[in-house]
Amino acid sequence: MGYKKRKRHVGIVGIGETKFSSHREDVNQPEMIHEAVRQALDDAGLQIDDIDCVVHGNMELFEMVHQPDMWHTLGSGAYGKSSFRLTTGGTTGGTLVCGADNLVASGMYDVVLAIGFEKLQEGHTTGGITNMADPLWARKLQSGALTAQAAVKLIAEFGEERARRAAMTYRIIMDKHACKNPNAHRAFHLEWDQMEDLMAHSPPLIGDLRLIHMCSQSDGACAIIFAAEKKAREISEAPVWIRDHITVHREETLNLANNYYPIDTTHRFAAETLYERNGIENPLEYFDVFEMYDPSAWWGVDWLRDFFLLEGDEHIKMVENREIMIGGKMPINPSGGVIATNPIGATAMVRVAEAAKQIRGDAGDHQVPGSVEHGLASSFGGTMWTVLTMLEKETNW
Amino acid sequence: MGEYYGIDVADIFNSMASRFRPEGAEGVDAAIGYDVGENGRWMLSVRQNQMSVDRCDDLSGCDVVVRVDGQTFVGLNVGKIDAMAALGAAKLKVEGDFNLFAATGKMFTKYVPAGQEVAPEQELLMVKRTISVKQRFATGPIMGTFLQGLKEKKILAIQCPQCGRLQSPPREICAPCRVRNDQWVEIGPAGEMRMLEYCYYASPDPLTGETRETPYGAIGILLDGCRNDEVFWHLLRPDQLDEVQMGIVMGEKVVHGSRLRPVWSDNRTGSINDIKYFEIDK
Amino acid sequence: MQKDDFSKSYVVEGKLALPYTYFAGRVGSTFLTTLRDQKKIMGVQCNQCEKIFVPPRQTCERCLSDIRDNWVPIENSGEVVNFTVVREQDKHLPRKTPYILGLIKLDGADTPMVHIIDGIDPEKITEGVRVRAVYTNESDPSILYIDHFEPISS
Repeated sequence: MGYKKRKRHVGIVGIGETKFSSHREDVNQPEMIHEAVRQALDDAGLQIDDIDCVVHGNMELFEMVHQPDMWHTLGSGAYGKSSFRLTTGGTTGGTLVCGADNLVASGMYDVVLAIGFEKLQEGHTTGGITNMADPLWARKLQSGALTAQAAVKLIAEFGEERARRAAMTYRIIMDKHACKNPNAHRAFHLEWDQMEDLMAHSPPLIGDLRLIHMCSQSDGACAIIFAAEKKAREISEAPVWIRDHITVHREETLNLANNYYPIDTTHRFAAETLYERNGIENPLEYFDVFEMYDPSAWWGVDWLRDFFLLEGDEHIKMVENREIMIGGKMPINPSGGVIATNPIGATAMVRVAEAAKQIRGDAGDHQVPGSVEHGLASSFGGTMWTVLTMLEKETNW
Repeated sequence: MGEYYGIDVADIFNSMASRFRPEGAEGVDAAIGYDVGENGRWMLSVRQNQMSVDRCDDLSGCDVVVRVDGQTFVGLNVGKIDAMAALGAAKLKVEGDFNLFAATGKMFTKYVPAGQEVAPEQELLMVKRTISVKQRFATGPIMGTFLQGLKEKKILAIQCPQCGRLQSPPREICAPCRVRNDQWVEIGPAGEMRMLEYCYYASPDPLTGETRETPYGAIGILLDGCRNDEVFWHLLRPDQLDEVQMGIVMGEKVVHGSRLRPVWSDNRTGSINDIKYFEIDK
Repeated sequence: MQKDDFSKSYVVEGKLALPYTYFAGRVGSTFLTTLRDQKKIMGVQCNQCEKIFVPPRQTCERCLSDIRDNWVPIENSGEVVNFTVVREQDKHLPRKTPYILGLIKLDGADTPMVHIIDGIDPEKITEGVRVRAVYTNESDPSILYIDHFEPISS
């Protein structure tokens, strides 16, 4: 892999997130993204004139507006500036971060504003995702991002009872986190004693994937401002540094092989490669927080194994012992994650934004206790693609 | 008790008469029960564009009963909680005629707490459009060969000259080996079912915009002649959804799935529809 | 070099159809309901850039100031500053071709808006023609609450 170390450090100096919700009838698209842009500028203490370049992204089929970056100039501030548009499916937000980071790290621009958004209320999410499939074959068969494959896999390996409990435990933990995050879309105030009821009665979508397990469809936007090291230190007292990022693709259709471990996933491959080139031997020890792109509770449980390079049932135990809760050994998604909030083109960027807030120590009620120095954020998209981003408090690596 | 978000549950029921929209209740003749837990029970009767609502402990005669806690009920009425979300979390349960429950949304204007009436809000406009675009897809020689094979009831796979992997539907290249595939092999047509996606969710078929009939089964099937993850993706005969078993390969542990065979369409045009579905091979 | 055999390649007819819902937002809705109910055109002013935008927007795209409350009334009449004639018929078009699509700078506005110009021969339209809005009772919310602009006979 033709990987080269960065030319210069890049810091996150401004973060903006709208309140996420199921409906935003009160704003059109440029007005909605502007809310995040305004917040990010204010957070950084910058004016729009200080921005050199704007990177913008979502998935066009969700709202069926082509080249929305042109219309969105009304809210993005891209008027008269260099501007790029990126769209890579669910990973869009992660790719936006990679793109902005590369633009600054390369020396092309000193200050870059990245904006990810989605207004899923305006379209049909599952229909839109299905349209990404091969029109001659898979479009007839796919049902968006809904799949029970992870459930089938976990149940086969760990048995129905243990697997279902692990998925629902994960779900309730994510809801408890979402209840602490005022930006989260869905915060149900689920209680542990609802576990049996939810396992039995939440409406099934596909196989063992129930409505309660699945991510929301949200409206909202996220904006992050990136700056080259010298500028970043001028702008912010505590920039959060991007140490490295990796993107791993695979062939484009879903694979219904039902072949279990050991199989290679893009998550595991990305994690192994990223840790190796950064000299991380024990990711569970190294990272203080992980914002994971977890589209469903089943995937959330399953993917812990890949991202932390775990063996056997270590990932299930992490969930069962509630080590993934705020205050636990490895807090996962203090924000409530994707199950609570999924404005798709912004979602992966929110992972980075939330991990960065944790490192800054100003995440609010969902702040992880203690010092947070090393953060990890993942993106998931297309048919099992991965982007992983490493964030640091200091540039001492 | 009874107050949530500073609003009394009873006040929402008491204000229903003034918020009733007869035009929204056209043709409705029904009784709707609300069980708001410790806050009490109410019965709403709608008939001939008129309605009445009263406290009523016995909801057994209702066409639909809505069970909900006070916090959720008030939240729904003041727009703090989304109904679908509440249903998803089982905080709101609808027993009986779900469509009738859904129709109540049209029967009333929005609840506004006393003292919070303000100048009429700016009406927020929206347009609904079904966007429909005609498309033409070129099969190319590889997919074209495969689809033409279906016309003759043959399922073809293409093989990688380097690793020997079979792909069906075929791709021009083997991505891991980065080489061009060059050998056609006939596979199946019968095989072993691996994965079953038992779909309850009625998603739209984006080719037509029409909602698919549920439940249906999307399956991964290992056709005879294929190995490992070389599965073929199609549909299961809908009435056999509960009769099939998935195949599992997990290290040493191997469970064989149901044997399936294709059911061919009479009129084959070289498309995915040339196979209607797969059924149990008895 | 190996020659590809395209004899097995053919074209499949497809379709893409999905439901969408678009929201005008508060600023856009204010503009549209004023058109619909009062048959008046409203713009918003950026005090910093000294520009009046029609159609309105929540923020000034130049300086990003929040201008959502700076409503100013605009005249129903204005001047054609540019135009094109749509000649190729297509089912998504709002009119039978040929028709004129004009850029109209309304009196009191700094930005021109796009609309249909009717009541004048497409071969005779010129820049500088004075036009005024003709309203309709169209029920579907859109800029077509104004049916078209027509020349003001002098």
